[in-house]
Amino acid sequence: MNDYLESVRDKAKRRGVQFMDVRLFEEDSTTVMVQDRKADKVSQGKSLAVGLRVLMDGAWGFASTDMVDSGSLDQCLQAAWEMAKASTVRVAHPGVVAEIPPIVDVVRAEVEKDPRSVSLQEKVKRVLDYEKAGLDCAGDKLCNTIVSYRDSWTCETVCNTAGTLIEQETIRVTIGTAMTAVEGSIRQMAHEHFSEQVGFEFLDRISAQDFTEKAAQRAVSLLSARRAPSGKFPVVLHPSITGLLVHEALGHNAEADHVFNGGSIIEGKVGEQIASECVTIMDDATLPRLCGSYRYDSEGVPGQRRIIVEKGVLKGYLHSLETAARFGVEPNGSARAMNGHYTPIVRMSNTFIVPGELAFEEMLEGIDEGIFMEGGHGGYVMCERGQYTCHVGEGWMIKNGQLGEHLRDVSFSGMTLETLMNMDAVSKDLEFLLPGRCGKSGQGMHINAGGPYVRVKEVVVGGQE
Amino acid sequence: MSDLLELAKKAREVALGQGAQFADVALTKGRSISINIEKNGIHDASEKTYTGVSVRSIVKGATGFSRSSGLGVNDVLETAKRSAEAAKLAQPDPDFVTLPELSDCQQVPGLYDEKTAQMSAGDLIQLFVKEIDAAREISPGVKVQGGVRLGVAERALVNSMGVEVEDRKTKVGFHIFCIVKRGDDVGSFYDFDVARVEEDFNPQGLGAKVCQEAVGFLGAKSVKSACLPVVFGPLVTSHLFDALCAGAGAEAIQRQRSYLVGKRGQRIGSKLLTLRDDAYIPQGMSSGSWDGEGAVRKRVTVVKEGVLVNHLHSCYTAHKAGEENTGHGDRWGGVAPTNVIPELGMDTASEIISDTKEGIYVNMGSVTPHPVHGEISATIDFGYKIENGELAYPLRNTMLGINIFDLLNNLDAISSDYREEPGMIMPTIRVQNVKVAGAD
Repeated sequence: MNDYLESVRDKAKRRGVQFMDVRLFEEDSTTVMVQDRKADKVSQGKSLAVGLRVLMDGAWGFASTDMVDSGSLDQCLQAAWEMAKASTVRVAHPGVVAEIPPIVDVVRAEVEKDPRSVSLQEKVKRVLDYEKAGLDCAGDKLCNTIVSYRDSWTCETVCNTAGTLIEQETIRVTIGTAMTAVEGSIRQMAHEHFSEQVGFEFLDRISAQDFTEKAAQRAVSLLSARRAPSGKFPVVLHPSITGLLVHEALGHNAEADHVFNGGSIIEGKVGEQIASECVTIMDDATLPRLCGSYRYDSEGVPGQRRIIVEKGVLKGYLHSLETAARFGVEPNGSARAMNGHYTPIVRMSNTFIVPGELAFEEMLEGIDEGIFMEGGHGGYVMCERGQYTCHVGEGWMIKNGQLGEHLRDVSFSGMTLETLMNMDAVSKDLEFLLPGRCGKSGQGMHINAGGPYVRVKEVVVGGQE
Repeated sequence: MSDLLELAKKAREVALGQGAQFADVALTKGRSISINIEKNGIHDASEKTYTGVSVRSIVKGATGFSRSSGLGVNDVLETAKRSAEAAKLAQPDPDFVTLPELSDCQQVPGLYDEKTAQMSAGDLIQLFVKEIDAAREISPGVKVQGGVRLGVAERALVNSMGVEVEDRKTKVGFHIFCIVKRGDDVGSFYDFDVARVEEDFNPQGLGAKVCQEAVGFLGAKSVKSACLPVVFGPLVTSHLFDALCAGAGAEAIQRQRSYLVGKRGQRIGSKLLTLRDDAYIPQGMSSGSWDGEGAVRKRVTVVKEGVLVNHLHSCYTAHKAGEENTGHGDRWGGVAPTNVIPELGMDTASEIISDTKEGIYVNMGSVTPHPVHGEISATIDFGYKIENGELAYPLRNTMLGINIFDLLNNLDAISSDYREEPGMIMPTIRVQNVKVAGAD
């Protein structure tokens, strides 16, 4: 297959393009869904697509297909060429690409037990066992239980006119659960989710106690929790919320494509104090096994550890080849594409706040009335205004420095720069608890996020009481 | 009979030959053109061609599902074989009865348009260039982002109960996002136009409109926390009503994970509220005569004068409930609404706002209930404070919270006028006594 890619790359070169890359993306996956004591849905998927991008006269054109042979790739090149030609009508900012040394490499996924070698029966059994443990520990208050398992093997091959040819395999295993409990008219749901770049041995590391039992117990305990209050509160954030907040509020703003578009609240602030001194934020693609890690990005640039904020000072942005050239900096390997049908765009990998020195209990001290929030459910940000929203799974009132009443799920909101400056305490812990996919421009990309417990002087809580 | 249908029938025979008691096969083939705009110019244009097959095999009620890209005959038949093998490894479900049976379906006009299908990247680019220029006339420093996407798709679906259907659809969508700045103050706004046929596609004027709205969001302030009436604009109302009808999907209700469990036949909201699901609106974005399982779609009144009167069904949930299949199933066991049409009220949106002494207007954004417990907790991303019946100033860092049943019961106005997109009727509504949280 690589011969096809190199052949079409050479044809593009002969056409005189400024830059061209072609990416072949293959995936094999298996999914098992258990619901209410039955593994009644088992799914298998295979996909293959190739995407080809050309830069010509400052204009980008892209074409993709799932027919991968020499003739289809030639058609793809022609289509991408025509798309670029059409784009030349109004190129406000001519496309550019940073120069990179060519890399030729093959990266094989290294796992203990390749999920493709495990029988479907074994996968079904393990998922049923997880569900049974959740059901056994929570009694008859559970009215619906869902446990899902997914494994995937992917291979992305990147070939470009700089001379890069990289073939990179990934194996992932993901398990998730949603447990619903009911009592009278009150109905509550709790989730747990784990995903890493590992083999089937991952299931030996995730106990039912940390997974389905935890979700089941939380769903039941939320039945007696009260609705969250509405208004301004100081908050202490669990590492799962710290991860969500740093990903949504700052991470997206640090993506250089947003910055270039005028859509980032931190545009033009490199070197400035944008957060309190206790805040250092990193995005690290090199952490072993984590959901957002990779050896090379989708442009063939090595993944790296990137310091975004150091002791409150903005140090830089996440870059693709194009944004690096536009900002006159070195590419830092942050461009990824969901599959062969999409172009690489700037993405986070594993984003986190660096731990400090305090213990969790010390974070609560001095708070007369506040909220401790746990369990990141998701969020979003309006980068250009710097207004973010985080959905959290549960909370506890803090009264006079002590945890009090249990609260149901709720959302909170704030302005990125105000929140970063209002972070006044960071604990010594570090956990990555947000493995999953982040959506941007129609592409869902694997990421993780985390950090320590963090205290924020004030956020707006959208409760119902 | 098209090539797609012929291939689907071959795959169906392979699945049945491998031991499936029931099987269905869906094949798709399509192409799309996308134009992406960055900072007032074109960043890139792209063309995608794609194909795919998905096969569902059922053995003793257990479902094996297999999908793959590509329509090579061997690949398609292999996919069918894998689905039957997967079904044999899944666990039986005694609630499964059958797949949808063959029945006549009424065709929905205007879902495919040759003129739309023939639009070129150049045509789409020209449309957007005009809107960029119009936005810059409103505010020369505006930064315009967005894009245009054209999609053309063919589908064929067959099952072992004799269903053999196929269709083709076109879709074109335009979205534009404007950012204006005054020092550190930032205003932004977004809007869109979508259509299946060229005559419904009218993005002209959106550049100026969206830029003007973005300027209107400069100088945003927060408010003091209070309990206030909230007026939801057309786009918010549309999301909310769609979510409510999704909540009436029988799959989540039968599985006991919906806030609408046990509510059928009961009052869930104001008498002003009537919602119909209608998949037969000509040229509608969610229109179609058959669902993801090949079942004929039915028109359904979901809420009538505040009473939840019907659930939406797939073939599986209908048999489980002993009711008629409404044709709202997807291929993975889920249930989803199509075009949600609300009954309109008496006053115009302007009259509803002018009748609100103090409150909040939410122009756009997602204000939807949690699907299990029905609580709403949302940021007002694009909203205004209403003072003395007028939009007084734009909001920042302001949230709202309310339970869905409180929202529906506190609904005291639905507008007579509305925004319309193909298949979408989007009025303005007002809800009393909403918890509004502000940073002021």
